[in-house]
Amino acid sequence: MTDRRPDPKAFPRIPYEDHFRLSLSDLQRILGIAQSSGGRFAEVFLEYRIYSFVLMEEDILKETAETISLGAGIRVVSGEKTGFGYTNDLAFDKIRSAALSAAAIAASPTTSKVVDFKAALSPRNVYRAREVPSRAPLEKKIGLVRDAYAFCRKASRAVKKAKASLQDSVQYVMIANSDGLLVTDARPMVKLTCLAIAEKGRSREYGFSGGGGRVGLEYFASERTPRTIGEEAAREARGLLEARPAPAGEMPVVLSPGHAGVLIHEAVGHLLEADFNRKKTSVFWDKFGRKVGSELITIYDDPTIPAFRGSYNIDDEGTVPRKTLLIEKGVIKGLLQDRLSAGLMNMPLTGHARRQDFSDIPIPRMANTYIDKGGDDPADIIRSVKKGFYADRFQGGQVEDSGKFTFSVSSGFLIENGKLTAPVKQATLIGSNVDILAKIERVGHDLTFGLQTGTCSKEGQDVPVTDGCPTLKISMMTVGGLEE
Amino acid sequence: MTAAPRADDLPALAERIVRFGRSCGADEVEVSVGEGTEFSVDVRLGEVENLVEAGSRSLGLRVIKDEKTAYASSSDLDEDTLKRLVRNAVRRAECASRDAFSALPPLSKRKVDPAALSIYDPEVGRLDSKTKIGLALETERIALSDARITNSYGANFVTNDGTAVLANSKGFLGRFQKTYCSLSVGLQAGATDERVEDFWFSSQTRFGALETPEQIARTAVERTVRQLRPRKIKTQRVPVIFEPMMTSGLLGFLFSCVAGTAVYQKSSFLAGRLGRRIAAPAVTVVDDGLLPAKLGTSPFDAEGVPTRRTVVVRKGVLASYLCNTYAARKLKLKSTGNADGGGVGPNNFYLEAGPHAPADIIRSCEKGLLLVRTLGHGLNPVTGDISRGAFGLWIEKGEIAYPVSEVTISGNLGELLKNVEMVGSDLEFRGSVCGPTIKVSEMMVAGT
Repeated sequence: MTDRRPDPKAFPRIPYEDHFRLSLSDLQRILGIAQSSGGRFAEVFLEYRIYSFVLMEEDILKETAETISLGAGIRVVSGEKTGFGYTNDLAFDKIRSAALSAAAIAASPTTSKVVDFKAALSPRNVYRAREVPSRAPLEKKIGLVRDAYAFCRKASRAVKKAKASLQDSVQYVMIANSDGLLVTDARPMVKLTCLAIAEKGRSREYGFSGGGGRVGLEYFASERTPRTIGEEAAREARGLLEARPAPAGEMPVVLSPGHAGVLIHEAVGHLLEADFNRKKTSVFWDKFGRKVGSELITIYDDPTIPAFRGSYNIDDEGTVPRKTLLIEKGVIKGLLQDRLSAGLMNMPLTGHARRQDFSDIPIPRMANTYIDKGGDDPADIIRSVKKGFYADRFQGGQVEDSGKFTFSVSSGFLIENGKLTAPVKQATLIGSNVDILAKIERVGHDLTFGLQTGTCSKEGQDVPVTDGCPTLKISMMTVGGLEE
Repeated sequence: MTAAPRADDLPALAERIVRFGRSCGADEVEVSVGEGTEFSVDVRLGEVENLVEAGSRSLGLRVIKDEKTAYASSSDLDEDTLKRLVRNAVRRAECASRDAFSALPPLSKRKVDPAALSIYDPEVGRLDSKTKIGLALETERIALSDARITNSYGANFVTNDGTAVLANSKGFLGRFQKTYCSLSVGLQAGATDERVEDFWFSSQTRFGALETPEQIARTAVERTVRQLRPRKIKTQRVPVIFEPMMTSGLLGFLFSCVAGTAVYQKSSFLAGRLGRRIAAPAVTVVDDGLLPAKLGTSPFDAEGVPTRRTVVVRKGVLASYLCNTYAARKLKLKSTGNADGGGVGPNNFYLEAGPHAPADIIRSCEKGLLLVRTLGHGLNPVTGDISRGAFGLWIEKGEIAYPVSEVTISGNLGELLKNVEMVGSDLEFRGSVCGPTIKVSEMMVAGT
């Protein structure tokens, strides 16, 4: 449950003022300047992020890096128009000049009143970082990387190369807008990944694994250890050495739980982002409240799942996010909203406005997207296929607004007479979303989420996401492999 | 809080940070400073949608101590912050492993005059907002005037005006300015449930070289409507013709396989193949950082090594890998001036034009697929395997018959390069990685 009491800490004192060095009256002045040409809505987004990176490859600790990002983005909205300016120099005159650039979008000079900041509601904390990586000693992070690397190399003699890295960051944001909102957030993030290259004769394959999220380093002692991550990468690479090329043509496809969430992300999630529907470019724009797929599927996006990579306490416009029902029993029930689209479409905010950083305009994005569990036993689902393809591990996908999408399978199995048989590698699945959603004929009870390592790109902006699904059967789909 | 430096002071700032790094105990220090202004306008259905104007700066840093390396960067140029970052970096370097291959490049005697490269166009900075917004509006207006276009993703005009400064403890100090502008439009055609989409663009270092709104709009319309009413095709092996944009995508994949970093890590299928035939004799691939006015042109790379022309594939034979200093030392080669951030990046990386008109290449094809767009990721540099979603035009008896969609193409870059039968004459430098139309004798096309 979301705690709706005002948080005494969020107001009137401004946290992070050491980074931003702006007073409440500075923020009021900036918002005033931003609205000086008559813009209806103005917003200041301040960001300070510390990022650290540790890399091990070729048996040595090769590189460490630290990055500091500091900046302010100022946005003015007037109808469907957005004016935007940003600066990474937080001297008042530089912010003022960014505010004037943003103000230029509106064209009816007014003297706006001074914003009165209201006390903010405190969202539930979805971060689970006890041992915050940005404050942990470098030696501890190096230890995790060395362990993942060593377990990967040790796992199999076929593994000839490995690469392990740890990335962590903490992002402090402060958002103030002309509606009187003033909120802050401190978002931790960590990711440990391992890549293995296995060789046998002339063939060479790679495997990947990882873990992390909005968690602290304690996660790697209990949830997914460096050993698990290193060994999984090795196992995938070694397994692919034995795999044969994937089949080509149309056939029934069973998707493994968890990793196949990327299909839902591509086939459904993007096209339910509000901007594509407001602009009527999405194939779904005229199908709200209509049935677009099998009754077996119900899809949510939930930015409030504790510790998940795609989660956040507030979105990048300061909205407290909600678990959002997108599709219920095949019927479109909701869209992922930001302020601009929600206002223009007269729909409720869902807390899905996200931006890569202060230099980007926020747009509707996914957070943690998943197909809810169904009623079928996964083993029964596989048994129901006489001849088909089991897609196990995925590299990613892409969709266009017409609903045509692809996703890349790095490894899978042939299904013959209800059993998984030969391991196969490298195939692209392609389809059109409305068609595929209608063809989902079995949904397992084994809802699982993919690795906490995913990143989604839209309009040049990358944001962390998670996706998930149970075992799914699609009655017929085009598999693009090499074997006839 | 110290005052932020002015643009003229950036070389002085870079040199100051280099000296500070040395005084903190680093053996070698490299500092890059970038400064730029950005303008971007999105228009859609005749109205301005987003208008962005901004300036930004950042500083990047590499220190080496006892053959141990650390990196840092910051967009906060406050000198106290920078000094703390330098001290942290030296301390972090001490935690890394010794690596005898870590080093800054030796100071080169060769110098490239930035002015001779024509990559800075003062006109870009002088364009007023009205002109820039007008270009985007005009491009979209022309495209929407075609009745077959049913929706618009909008048109976009972008300019960038940037300065790059690099200084290091070997005594290198370099500075150059570069401009960029681009105009693009994205369109949809067909009713909601039969939508097809595409876009077209022009991007240049010089404003005068940009295609006109008319040219961009007409091309975007043609590219979009030619995909209307697609058919599915049977799974089969056929010749595939790559349009220039598709060849460029393929070249990007080839680049990741000849990049020295992938080669010394043996994560490229082209590792250990130097001097061997890897492609058909019609294939010559070049990386050239010195081509005047091109998008990938610059006087020196991210380590201060002067850029140059490197033949990567000469008439089908792998002639050179592309290296930064680190990869070069690993491979016992010389840097080719391709350092980019911490890795290796292309300058102008292109497939040389061949003798064939694109229309003749299509005519040569009894049955096959003209590849116009791909969707998805399936490229594996370790094996060279390619597997992607594809949109194309079906060719029968040397003529375009109908569009096809929901197919995938599969192959292997190694095989594909050897199967290049024809190379087109239509090379255009639309990006820093590019190529002309090519015909590949056979690929697997999966449909129904």
